[in-house]
Amino acid sequence: MAGLNLFKKKTAESGQPELNEKTDIKTPFSEAVRKFKRQKNSVIALCFILFLVFLAFFGDILAPYGVNEYDYSSILQGPSLQHFFGTDEFGRDLFSRILMGTKISLAVGLGAVTVGAICGTILGLLGGYYGGIIDSIIMRICDTLFAFPGIILAIAIVAILGSGLYNVVIAVAVFSTPTFARLVRGRTLALKNTVFVQAAKNLGASDFRILFKHILPGAFPEIIVQYTMSIGSSILTASSLSFLGMGAQPPTPEWGLLLANGRTYMMSTVHTTLFPGLAIFLTVLSFNLLGDGLRDALDPKLTD
Amino acid sequence: MLKYTCRRIIGTIPTLLIVITFVFFFVRMIPGDPARLVAGEQATQEAVEAVREQLGLNEPLPVQYVNYVTGLLHGDLGDSLRTKRPVLDEISARYGNTLALTGMALVWSTIAGVLLGVWSGKNRGKWQDYTGMTLAVSGISLPAFWVGFLLIMLFAVRLRWLPTTGAGSIRNLILPSITLGVSIAAVIARFTRSSIIEVLKEDYIRTARAKGIKEKMVTWRHAFRNSMISVVTVVGLQFGYLLGGSVVTEAVFAYPGLGSLLIESVNYRDYPAIQSLILIFSLQFIIINLVVDILYAVLNPEIKLG
Repeated sequence: MAGLNLFKKKTAESGQPELNEKTDIKTPFSEAVRKFKRQKNSVIALCFILFLVFLAFFGDILAPYGVNEYDYSSILQGPSLQHFFGTDEFGRDLFSRILMGTKISLAVGLGAVTVGAICGTILGLLGGYYGGIIDSIIMRICDTLFAFPGIILAIAIVAILGSGLYNVVIAVAVFSTPTFARLVRGRTLALKNTVFVQAAKNLGASDFRILFKHILPGAFPEIIVQYTMSIGSSILTASSLSFLGMGAQPPTPEWGLLLANGRTYMMSTVHTTLFPGLAIFLTVLSFNLLGDGLRDALDPKLTD
Repeated sequence: MLKYTCRRIIGTIPTLLIVITFVFFFVRMIPGDPARLVAGEQATQEAVEAVREQLGLNEPLPVQYVNYVTGLLHGDLGDSLRTKRPVLDEISARYGNTLALTGMALVWSTIAGVLLGVWSGKNRGKWQDYTGMTLAVSGISLPAFWVGFLLIMLFAVRLRWLPTTGAGSIRNLILPSITLGVSIAAVIARFTRSSIIEVLKEDYIRTARAKGIKEKMVTWRHAFRNSMISVVTVVGLQFGYLLGGSVVTEAVFAYPGLGSLLIESVNYRDYPAIQSLILIFSLQFIIINLVVDILYAVLNPEIKLG
């Protein structure tokens, strides 16, 4: 509202007629939307992601065949009008399976990164705000987790917990946590000495209120960008683990698993590896493009 | 400089100790009984206990830990449960393969990434930039195993130019190193581009242009060389990721390296091997980070060392 009053005062002083408030007030949010809309790629990516979300909800209804509908009279057939993406070694329709795999990949990516982001954000806020021993411990843990290449850490976690999609989600969540912790800690350190935080403190606001009401919103743009970028790489990691036989187990229509399955027939057919990979690629690409667009829209350092 | 280097090296020691401890206890949490695994399904309880004692798994955890660290200091990583050979031998037998694959991937992806980045960066906002960055964002989004399969289907199955699996010759390395390097090349390209764009805004670039130096000279002599300082860091860090990322690529090409050894060990629940491999991967990562940090300080005269 402060921006609105300021704007009104300005127009009153310059004697200009009152402008339509809705279109002319530049809030940080409308600025971000305007900048984001200029990124055509990212807008298309956002539309594609919304489409994927739609498929995740309604894929089961839209799929022309059942997910495990065997048809031994038509095994390993190439793409046709009956089977858009062809069939696998049991005659199952690949198009339907990929369609129904959408919700798995999205759920794994979103789930893992959401858990990682929440844990990392809380750790980063606490470490950055309180400093001292809490900060040292949290940063030590992060350093340790950072000392492993991502996928190695994920494999180690899955080795302990056992194979399966839920464990993959946990593994990916664990290795995305330190990234968020470092990011939020940095912002918290920068924000905790600002005037508005000091003012809130002097007014008697609780630490909880300061952290979540005053500091967290300041870190939000960075968190959102990191969050979007992480979803793409998490979907990649999760499907890699499934591909290695450590994630989803057959007959789940997980994309990485479909690809691993398709490799057996790689010498004779192309479609069993082509389409599942394409699905992963396009999904990850959309999240990465969206992340790029959001960064350009939200990063105050990029002014032009 | 020497002081800074020493301080950085000493600074990594606590991280190393934590990582060793972490890996030790971590692997002990893997479900399943390794003694039973070695003795076999049909073995009697006594036989299993005998194996347990032989492996030192009957000792209390702290004693096992001390034994483990002592062993590490003597270069003893224990024996693999799967092959019964020392883990160190297993690892050193395959280390060269992974290093060759990673090295080749790093070389081509650095060259390709830097060229693409410079090309995009100096033509900022034009079609070259657009093409370059579309390629780069696609490269980051490609699943390595898919790229591997597509390459195999095209160059090994269809055209029959290159072998699908195996190791030993350069021909065996071509497809896996392309697969492994794609995403790294893309990351390097993106980074080089933004670095070039930053440098091109500098006053000395304007001065160089004002002096009438040819644009080619401005790009390669002034902009490129100065932007490389920060690109070195990224390339170094990517090298660490490559060593870990080779797991998937090695699985696709059945390449006998450390990554495929890790997968085999995890499937067999081969404790000593898993623990040593994770340790080796993380050790490499820590050392590379250290070297990159020091290299950055050497290259960048702006950094004040104290």
